[in-house]
Amino acid sequence: MSVFHHDYQAFTGRVTPLWTRPLVLARYGLKEVWASKIAVGLLVLSLLPPIVFLVMIYLADNPVARALVGRESDLITINERFFLRLLATQCWLALVLAAWIAPRLIASDLADNALPILLSHPISRFSYIFGKFLALITSLSYVTWIPCIVLFLYQCYSSPQPWTLAHLPLGMGMMAGALLWIALLSLLGLAVSSWVKWRVVATGAIFAVVFVPAGVGGIANAILRTRWGFLLNIPVMMSEVWQRLLGAPAILNSLMSMPTPAIAAVLILASLVFAAMLNARIRAREVVRG
Amino acid sequence: MGVIDLDRLVVQLGGRTVLDGLAGELRGHAIGLLGPNGAGKSTLINTLLGFHTPASGNARVLGLDARSDRMRIRQSVGYMPENDSFIGNLNGVHFVRYMAELAGLPPGEALERAHEALFFVGLGEVRYRKISTYSLGMKQLIKLAQALAHGPRLLILDEPTNGLDPSARQRMIQLIKDIRRQGSTRLLISSHLLRDIDDTCDEVLILNKGRVAAISNIEEERRSHRNFIELETEGSAEAFVHKMRGAGCECASFPGGRVKLVMPDAITLRDVYVAAADSGVQIRRIQQRRDSLEDIFMRAVDYEGGRVEHVSLPS
Repeated sequence: MSVFHHDYQAFTGRVTPLWTRPLVLARYGLKEVWASKIAVGLLVLSLLPPIVFLVMIYLADNPVARALVGRESDLITINERFFLRLLATQCWLALVLAAWIAPRLIASDLADNALPILLSHPISRFSYIFGKFLALITSLSYVTWIPCIVLFLYQCYSSPQPWTLAHLPLGMGMMAGALLWIALLSLLGLAVSSWVKWRVVATGAIFAVVFVPAGVGGIANAILRTRWGFLLNIPVMMSEVWQRLLGAPAILNSLMSMPTPAIAAVLILASLVFAAMLNARIRAREVVRG
Repeated sequence: MGVIDLDRLVVQLGGRTVLDGLAGELRGHAIGLLGPNGAGKSTLINTLLGFHTPASGNARVLGLDARSDRMRIRQSVGYMPENDSFIGNLNGVHFVRYMAELAGLPPGEALERAHEALFFVGLGEVRYRKISTYSLGMKQLIKLAQALAHGPRLLILDEPTNGLDPSARQRMIQLIKDIRRQGSTRLLISSHLLRDIDDTCDEVLILNKGRVAAISNIEEERRSHRNFIELETEGSAEAFVHKMRGAGCECASFPGGRVKLVMPDAITLRDVYVAAADSGVQIRRIQQRRDSLEDIFMRAVDYEGGRVEHVSLPS
């Protein structure tokens, strides 16, 4: 087909494999997300804490630098607790970022009724959701496991050899903890965004889904004199998960601590609920009604 | 192998039977899908695209099973939905390229085809504008461009002239004719505007209450040169109608002395005048025309039987 002849010709070239189509959605999703100046601003803010932690690692591992700032003693100890603090900081910043960018991924498709046209192409509902999920996971990776692993590798490089050998599981734990959190956050963000038409409201709703049940759980704990209300408290549950994955000292006392199977069951249940919400909404909007 | 094969297709939505035993084979180059509101046109299109699973029976698109080959069907089909459906904050090129990549074109090819498709539909000058700023006619055209960009073997157009002003409608009809003339793409055009179908299609599937009311080859009907005559008469038309039926005409009389005749080749206009004179009827006005799609449609939607029937007239 020539631009000058304005004549229609069918495409006769080779097409890409079906399994690559979610990657197209992810690529365009990323482009859409990072077109927002606020998203870029949030990313920059989210990368400030790792810089602070980087300086702390540098000071901890460099006696000359410590001498220059006037503190010769072991003010900073690089251990599980240090990386737990880093992981938790980054993961909560990821929540802020997800609350802003998740609605951009889905809301624009829903606002202009783009789903019938998108899904009339050779992609399934699952592929569509998976593509958006990949875009969100990738975006959140920039502020969670990637800076954590970079700092971990820097610590491995700058510390004496025994530290690396003794703390290898710490890196795996950080990566697993961050991936678990951003997967949950991505499902939550996409599910809430698919049900709320306005982006700003969707952003608020994502925070509400995380923090309102925590308040309800706290009330349940106080009234019923139990600890099981913590199962509604995502921040507490995730802190417990990260602490156990990193092998850091316990955050809650043993009476308040939740058993790992209960935490796992609640997280799986929450993920299934978010996935079902998302599927129901996309299914309802995939064809033109009426 | 037909473009679309329907084999006793039944589709139920929410426990309600929307498509009830559709059967037939559509072979036309441009197939019109006609029917009153609620006849099941959109449901049939959605079923062909694999959005609805048949309760029983089956449908085949380009020889592919609508149940098991959904992805291959969507790969081969370009779909232009009836309602507004786009991503408003993307510009024209970006949107069409996105859709072409989803259809399987490599990024470079998709970009090239996006530009070409936009020029083809006449949006070349506005291709870098955000779609949300487009007029209604432009939005219809960008939907057509995205459906075309990946070079589908079958193009499904759902109400393509919906909401267009006469000149935009004419432009859309011309584009459809151009695509049809080029020959590599089959067309399935759903519309409630008979004129659009008449202008663009060579075969028509008429649905009524979820059933096939008729499958008609418009081209054959056109070729058959059957003469339809509308008369306005003065006097008792009953004897005249009786006489014409006796001569082999198909007749229908209406209040006010209006009579419609289908004349076999052996009957001439002179025979009509003679029969009128013999019956004591004055012919005040006579209009000779071919069988229109409207006639086919009106007969089909009045048809209450469940059997698939090719609408044709006795010769």
